[in-house]
Amino acid sequence: MSKILDYVDERLSLGELRAFAAKKKVPLHRYSYWYYWGGISLFCFICQVVTGIMLLIYFKPGPEAYDSVRQITYDIHFGWLIRSAHNWSATIFLISVLIHMFSVFFMKAYRRPREFGWWSGILLLLLGLTFGFSGYLLPMDELSYFATKIGLATPEALPVLGKTIANLLRGGLEVSDVTVQRFFALHVVILPLLYLPLLGLHLWLVQKHGNAVPPSEEEKPEQERKSIPFFPNFLAKDLGMWLMTLNAIAIMASLFPPQLGKMGDPLSPAPVGIHPEWYFMSQFATLKVIGKLVPGFLGEAAGMTLFALGLILWVLIPFYDVKTKGGLVAKRATYFGIFVVTVLVLTTILGYVLA
Amino acid sequence: MNYPVWEVPGIGLPWVIGIIAIFHVMISHFAVGGGIYLAVAEAKAIRENRRDWLPILERHSKFFLVLTGVFGAVSGVGIWFAIGLIQPEATSTLIHNFVFGWAIEWVFFIVELSAAAVYYYTWRRIPDKLHMKVGNLYAVASVCTLVIINGILTFMLTPGTTWLKAAGTGHESAYFWNAFFNPTYWPSLILRTLVCLSLAGVWALVSFSRLDDDTFGKAKVSMIRWSAGWLLPAFVLMPFMLGWYLYMVPRENQHLLELGMTTIGSGAFTQITRIALISVISTATIVGIVYFFAYKFPKDLTYGHALSVLFIALAATGSTEYAREAVRKPYVIGSHMYSNGVRISEVDTFNRDGYLTKSMWSPGKDASQVEVGKAMFRGQCLSCHTAGGYRSMRAFLADRDAKAIGNILKVLHDHKLDSPYRYYMPPLVGTQQEIEALQSYLLTLKDAAAPTKVARK
Repeated sequence: MSKILDYVDERLSLGELRAFAAKKKVPLHRYSYWYYWGGISLFCFICQVVTGIMLLIYFKPGPEAYDSVRQITYDIHFGWLIRSAHNWSATIFLISVLIHMFSVFFMKAYRRPREFGWWSGILLLLLGLTFGFSGYLLPMDELSYFATKIGLATPEALPVLGKTIANLLRGGLEVSDVTVQRFFALHVVILPLLYLPLLGLHLWLVQKHGNAVPPSEEEKPEQERKSIPFFPNFLAKDLGMWLMTLNAIAIMASLFPPQLGKMGDPLSPAPVGIHPEWYFMSQFATLKVIGKLVPGFLGEAAGMTLFALGLILWVLIPFYDVKTKGGLVAKRATYFGIFVVTVLVLTTILGYVLA
Repeated sequence: MNYPVWEVPGIGLPWVIGIIAIFHVMISHFAVGGGIYLAVAEAKAIRENRRDWLPILERHSKFFLVLTGVFGAVSGVGIWFAIGLIQPEATSTLIHNFVFGWAIEWVFFIVELSAAAVYYYTWRRIPDKLHMKVGNLYAVASVCTLVIINGILTFMLTPGTTWLKAAGTGHESAYFWNAFFNPTYWPSLILRTLVCLSLAGVWALVSFSRLDDDTFGKAKVSMIRWSAGWLLPAFVLMPFMLGWYLYMVPRENQHLLELGMTTIGSGAFTQITRIALISVISTATIVGIVYFFAYKFPKDLTYGHALSVLFIALAATGSTEYAREAVRKPYVIGSHMYSNGVRISEVDTFNRDGYLTKSMWSPGKDASQVEVGKAMFRGQCLSCHTAGGYRSMRAFLADRDAKAIGNILKVLHDHKLDSPYRYYMPPLVGTQQEIEALQSYLLTLKDAAAPTKVARK
């Protein structure tokens, strides 16, 4: 065994990698558990890749999409489980990414020199949401059909390019099997091609700059700060958390597997109370409320402008909150974060109430 | 239907038993494992002169005193209360066969309780050797409660051919030992013992993770690592024991585990497969979690990590118990009594003379058809279904008209060999008039649910 290890080590210099990993430290403090969420997101992403590849074996994009998902869900041994695990790992992925992002925000981990980590993380979240949106249509049942139809009506409201973008995504004026084909290509080829290099960059930045500590910890003198080696101590805990996450996915996937509704029919009316998935619920509710105040195109444009402004502010926060020491600006940034979390939670709840 | 029948809306009758029973099973397995753990740990500490372990074990033993004396005793009585009201016929059969067994179990339980109290209150007050003897008595008594109750629990799934031949003759209790050492007794006993040992190790992790590093540093590390090892026997042996157990389960019950492999279609009975998956995954991964969290770096084990391990262990135990209970369908006592309390031997009589004729709780002669139907529903359906909650009849009937409901009732009544319901539903017994009355009552449930179909969101 040692001879094999020596053989590999001589050619791949694994020893150097090990020494590097052992040198890297992870801060140990009362908020250390927030550090796990990035790893949990990564694990969920891996689960989605694995289950996604397994679904690819039976899924047929285009006119046969619905039938192939019906076959996966009701005919193939444990096909329902793979589909359910894909679905639930996506949900837990988005939850963990959101928790990861807000923990990074409140730890002020977007400050110098970690700005690119912050921006790449936001891009990964946006791509993750696009993964969710594009994957949602693929079963082509009643629910996914109408949710996508409504979802694509939102960018259509954008001035100038809105209609062109919506038609490009749809492959025509209506959601159809052509749209499924396009969303499939987006879901399994284009998005992964964008996501994987960006993920690589994000992980490299985390390795390069290490874990940020919260301001309360930053104020402590160096000798009072505790840390543990990344390898093997933190990695072992991370792997433990991955197994915990696997259990969470297994429990949810087994207890609440997604069924398949009736086939999406453009001629039938939309089911009562149709609404998007939870991760778009906040925007859905906001648009609905604004639509009631300002009906028509103007309302939709106002809503879209609001989202765009919110996102821009979120992206630009590293330029605003730059000082390492606490102060009024730092406090304002924290208040802004609390405001954003509150608005997201409240509007999401409101969305379910209004639906 | 000779006893009052509860109607519990929402969770239904199965979950009244289920919640109490799963809670009790967890408590009792903790208690049995804890008894063994304390005795072995104290012996090790004294033998290897690890005196720093003893104050930690003293603190640790307090939990088991409370667990056994309060939660174990209360939930145990709770089970009796619940099964007596929800499954009176089955409870009656069990008491008639196993009254002696239960009497012995209670003796052991009283010994366990007393020994646990003496064990806790005599730390540092009596010589080590005597204290260890008390610990051994506590461990043996707690194991004996499992040895006894396991015979009764496994009997319900596999009563064995000898007892089944005697069933209904009035001489069933003469076959006590055949019923007790039934086909699934030994694999189940070993499986449960492994679970007990694992839970003892898991609880030790929870307990020791809270110890102060400065005061207990070295002992804490060694005890966490040693406790993590308590999951190893289960990890190695459980797949084999589970295989043995399933091999001893009748083929028709094994088939229930396969119903959810291919499909999750509505109306298909897939719960057991889905819950069994949780059991398998959580059992298979928990050793890995303990290895990474506790064994490899015991110093870094936090209370949060230990609680996470406990949560997975409880998920594994709870789901396994659910699957074990459900795999007995359509019986409450295998090949003898259906889950609604109707004995196989009574089916023809009920079909000929009527189900409600001998019931003390049947409606009067002047009762309307719907009232008769409701009595049928309460007697034969309520032990598994509810009107609008768990296994909701309203949801099940939503898309069906009177003719379709009549057809399903006919399929259930005929109980033919190729019926898909045969694996998990008892036959519907009664005369044609009674079945038509049930159909009328079910139609009133369906009408009450209007609008029948809630639009999917």
